[in-house]
Amino acid sequence: MDWQVVLNNSSLLARGLTTSLELTLFAIAASLPVGCLLAIGRLSKQRWLSLFCASFVNVMRSNPLVLVLFWLIFLVPLIIGHRVPNLAAVSVAFVVFFSVYFSEIVRSGIQSVGRMQISAGLSTGLTRGQTMRHIVLPQAVRAMLPALTTQCIVVFQGSTVAYVVGYDELLHSSSMIAERTGRPVELYIATAAIYFLVSLAGSLLARRFETKRSRA
Amino acid sequence: MQYNLTFSMLLTAPYLGWIADGVLTTLHLALLSWSVALLLGLAVGIARVSSNRALRLFGTFYVELFRNVPLLVQLFLWFYVVPEFLPSETARWWNRLDEVPYWTAVIGIAFYTSSRLAEQIRAALGAIPKGQFEAALSTGLTKLQMYRHVIIPYAGRIMIPAITSEFLTVFKNTALALTISVVEISATARKIEAWSFKGIEAYTVASATYMLTTLAVILVMTMLERRLAIPGLIRWGS
Amino acid sequence: MTAPIIQVRDVVLRYGDFTALDRVSLDVFEGEVIVVCGPSGSGKSTLLRCLNGLETFQEGEVIVDGENVATCRNLPALRRRIGMVFQHFELYPHMTVLQNLTLAPIKAQGLPRAEAERLAMDYLTRVGIADQAGKYPGLLSGGQQQRAAIARALTLQPRLMLFDEPTSALDPEMIFEVLQVMKNLAVLGMTMVVVTHEMGFAQEVADRVVFMDRGAVIETAPSAEFFASPKTPRARAFLKRILRIG
Repeated sequence: MDWQVVLNNSSLLARGLTTSLELTLFAIAASLPVGCLLAIGRLSKQRWLSLFCASFVNVMRSNPLVLVLFWLIFLVPLIIGHRVPNLAAVSVAFVVFFSVYFSEIVRSGIQSVGRMQISAGLSTGLTRGQTMRHIVLPQAVRAMLPALTTQCIVVFQGSTVAYVVGYDELLHSSSMIAERTGRPVELYIATAAIYFLVSLAGSLLARRFETKRSRA
Repeated sequence: MQYNLTFSMLLTAPYLGWIADGVLTTLHLALLSWSVALLLGLAVGIARVSSNRALRLFGTFYVELFRNVPLLVQLFLWFYVVPEFLPSETARWWNRLDEVPYWTAVIGIAFYTSSRLAEQIRAALGAIPKGQFEAALSTGLTKLQMYRHVIIPYAGRIMIPAITSEFLTVFKNTALALTISVVEISATARKIEAWSFKGIEAYTVASATYMLTTLAVILVMTMLERRLAIPGLIRWGS
Repeated sequence: MTAPIIQVRDVVLRYGDFTALDRVSLDVFEGEVIVVCGPSGSGKSTLLRCLNGLETFQEGEVIVDGENVATCRNLPALRRRIGMVFQHFELYPHMTVLQNLTLAPIKAQGLPRAEAERLAMDYLTRVGIADQAGKYPGLLSGGQQQRAAIARALTLQPRLMLFDEPTSALDPEMIFEVLQVMKNLAVLGMTMVVVTHEMGFAQEVADRVVFMDRGAVIETAPSAEFFASPKTPRARAFLKRILRIG
């Protein structure tokens, strides 16, 4: 084995990692609010709204990310009439796909707050909105934190799926270098190590949230 | 937007045969990898709660390793890297196998999934009161008998929802096998699109496969959960 | 006099810095009923759990039915001769009562199923819940569950029985039925070591009372003597407190 090849291409790998992280952060930042809307929609008393949100969530949840990506890459040009850059297709697919998972986390977080807490809030003269804001949400966020962190790691790991359409994230960069230099062994081991370290750091963070919460 | 939907095209050769192959590949790839993952996960999950320090350490190492590397990267490792390290005899045997990508996918998905299942199993074992272990031992069962007759059947019932959702994850993850040229249903859909430009029809078939199977699995597991529910026991975590 | 069925010699058990058992010694003879009492955290349950090897101690030795527990090669075989009843019953919730009783006889003792079931029904009848045999434990009352747990231990036909606060998790109206079963067992000559706060049971049934505090045996005395005139101030204080409350 010759690790020189990894060092020689470290700037390309670093750029790949940056792209992966950017995609991850964008996907999280955009999916979280959409997920919140979906969750609130699902818990809404408007039947059509909750039904719509529930169907959307269930349809998305039963499809693999790769297939959602294929769908969008095929559909988007068809709808808007011209080809779109990979970046756009990948970004939209990630937000559509991951917002659904975030919505499930938010929903179970809200539901984890006991109904008696709402009664208690209302009984002290708070309005429904105030009760939601000051009593339910703070507790829900605390309950959601470990699952949210874990989901962020899932998004990061999921960013590798963009490889399939040739989007230049870390795995794709690494496979290009592997092909060019004919040294897949070194490159894939190094790439795995990078993913491992970033994910591990994330799970350690998630665990800290969990222990903090169990102590609270 | 100009597009003529012609689903009937999918019923003609060669597409129908492709679809059947793709669906079947997805299904047995998922079932096989999940079964292997369950066995591995059970062993590692028990190792994680073992009283033996070395075993516990091994379990932690295993889980962290396999769940912190993305599945797609793990597939590449099994496909491109691991064969390079096999002894030449074994490598020759492996390369001569008929379906190297398929078996690689089974191994890759199984190991990845087993680390996640191991954590679920550990959590379920942790949810069983310590007294249950002691009661079983106090009646003279060996540790093996205790796990086989008391702890695993008990934990298994607690775990049905988690195992179900893990199976559905595996089922969706099989789509990643297309990166190492396993022609399952997503790859098939793409192939049909490339041949016929009938993307909507092709992807609809793939999506329908995933959605219908998901629905069927959920229905069966809900029934199973109801049938196996432990009478009088408060449901854990709900 | 024959050798005691339980011999505990200078047992020391530490969890890190904390000493749970501090040079504890105790002899129990066949047919005796021993009640172990003392404030919570005094090491009573820990002592009990040393007797069938659920707990490992650092010093001293425990010999039960002729076997050294610490060095015993075949703990499962020894444990079959020692019945144990837990505070929270610990019936297996996913098995019927009958299956709970027959599991160990079939799997560990190798009895044929029919034989094990006959035996199990026999003991369920003795504890008065034969009609509950086909139900799952979660559907039984606490008192019924504990009686089933006692029957589970008895189905192995043990030489002695250990009871770890068998009535502490029960509602008051169910304590009586469980104590009644234990009394019957004592009358039939079963060797019993009982950790309990039920001083009425101790007075009526126990041959000797062992009083523990902070991991050590403070006093061992025949039951009547212990309740009439405890020798140590700590035992006196304990009795005063527990009898005033109870």
